[in-house]
Amino acid sequence: MLLKVGKYVVLIIAAGLIAYNSVYIKKLSELRSAEVKPFNAKEYARDYLYKKLPSSAGKAIEINELLAQLETNPLSAFSKYSHSLSEGDSKYFLVSGTGTIAEISDEYIFLKSKTAANVKIATEYIVGNTARDASGLISMDEFGNSMDINTVSEEINKLIKTEIIPPVKAKAKKGDLIAFKGCIELSKSDVKLDNIEIIPVFLTIKN
Amino acid sequence: MKLFKVLLLLLVIFAGCNGDSKKSDEPKKIAIVVSTLNNPWFVFLAETAAKKAKELGYESKIFDSQNNTALETDHFENAISSGYDAVLFNPTDATGSVANATKAKNADIPVFCMDREINSPDAATSQILSDNYSGCIEMGKYFVKTLNKKGKYVELLGIVSDNNTWNRSKGFHSIVDNYKELKMVAQQSADFDRNKAMEVMESLLQANPDINAVFCGNDAMAMGAYQALSAANKADKVKVFGFDGAEDAITSIQQGKVTATAMQFPKVIAETAATFADEYFKGKRDFPKKKPVAVELVTKENIENYIGYGKK
Repeated sequence: MLLKVGKYVVLIIAAGLIAYNSVYIKKLSELRSAEVKPFNAKEYARDYLYKKLPSSAGKAIEINELLAQLETNPLSAFSKYSHSLSEGDSKYFLVSGTGTIAEISDEYIFLKSKTAANVKIATEYIVGNTARDASGLISMDEFGNSMDINTVSEEINKLIKTEIIPPVKAKAKKGDLIAFKGCIELSKSDVKLDNIEIIPVFLTIKN
Repeated sequence: MKLFKVLLLLLVIFAGCNGDSKKSDEPKKIAIVVSTLNNPWFVFLAETAAKKAKELGYESKIFDSQNNTALETDHFENAISSGYDAVLFNPTDATGSVANATKAKNADIPVFCMDREINSPDAATSQILSDNYSGCIEMGKYFVKTLNKKGKYVELLGIVSDNNTWNRSKGFHSIVDNYKELKMVAQQSADFDRNKAMEVMESLLQANPDINAVFCGNDAMAMGAYQALSAANKADKVKVFGFDGAEDAITSIQQGKVTATAMQFPKVIAETAATFADEYFKGKRDFPKKKPVAVELVTKENIENYIGYGKK
């Protein structure tokens, strides 16, 4: 009789333990706060362009110095100053400089160059990953998927086109001195320095 | 009776231990799970991965998911229960395949994604992916130049649940949409499939007989679209743009049938995945979560530098 009661007690305890471990009660508010927020590419792009990038602007190499180094020792210049998220030929550089405006077209602000290079600031077609990758500040591992990081490129490019360029382009005129920080793309296997296109991330007229 | 049960239990435990020690002497096994073998590009990817695994001293087996996530799940369960030590994985669905990779991870089996991505930062040990977006930026620039900034075109999308489909489309449109005289008159999925692309193209041509170009999210669809154009006697008037660098697309560029493709490097992707598995077995754990591999534009101007699936 005592053995039977003991068996029932053990069974009841076991059933209780199973039931207790099968059900979890949590506050709905706790669960909601733990939910992963969807990635906000616009917010990320704005933070990158206006906070992260200016705080590391010292990394930008003066453009004429970069061009000189690319002429004399391209391998070393690529190794020291270029970045890219993907393994491949296209590499990106963060550059700075000043220049006198030689000409303004619908698509570019052309600068009078101290070298043989034709240096121009893009104002119409701001595309690609140049502005995203040039600083080396963004890592693929920050993002859940490649769609997000590519959307970041598009949002950075949109901000440059709608917020960085228009105020300067509206008042820029031939002969003005312009200061810039920007990004350029060069092919590692086919370095062409005669036509340098800068995607601007900072622009100001210094007159 | 009790003594017999205890002896039996000890025997089972002993047999289990013995099995493990035998396993450590055997070469490690790598499962290569591929979305489909109905596309030569994926056949090349899978076979290259198997070849590299063999070179590194491992056994491998290729599993064909036939673009079906449920079949892919069966392959993973099979791989886990059969004692595979790593999975080189070309997923069928960016979101739907996460559960399969997670299952392997929970069984302490590393997963290395090849070419296609899964929407999880940690289910796979590493993901080796083509930089589709950048590749299609270059494709978009060439498309604009070839069409002299004006004309009508259609777009054939790949599988809509695959990230590559949208990365390619978005890269392309980030350039082409800047030109108002280039008008996309239709955009439809053909699931990266040659036969489906031919059917879709036939129907699109009936509604849009005056198009100047078709942009396809992969070369299989480009070849299917070309077949439909050829049957409708429009192959000379409509320019075909693909993506992948498949052998038939490279030949077609040489013959002037296809205008351009974007060369992914399946050999680099597959060999990197197999090498990562080898490094994992030898103790390495700090792999990049994502490793993008650059894509190169292939046109009649540089075709002499390329062969199917890579550079000469």
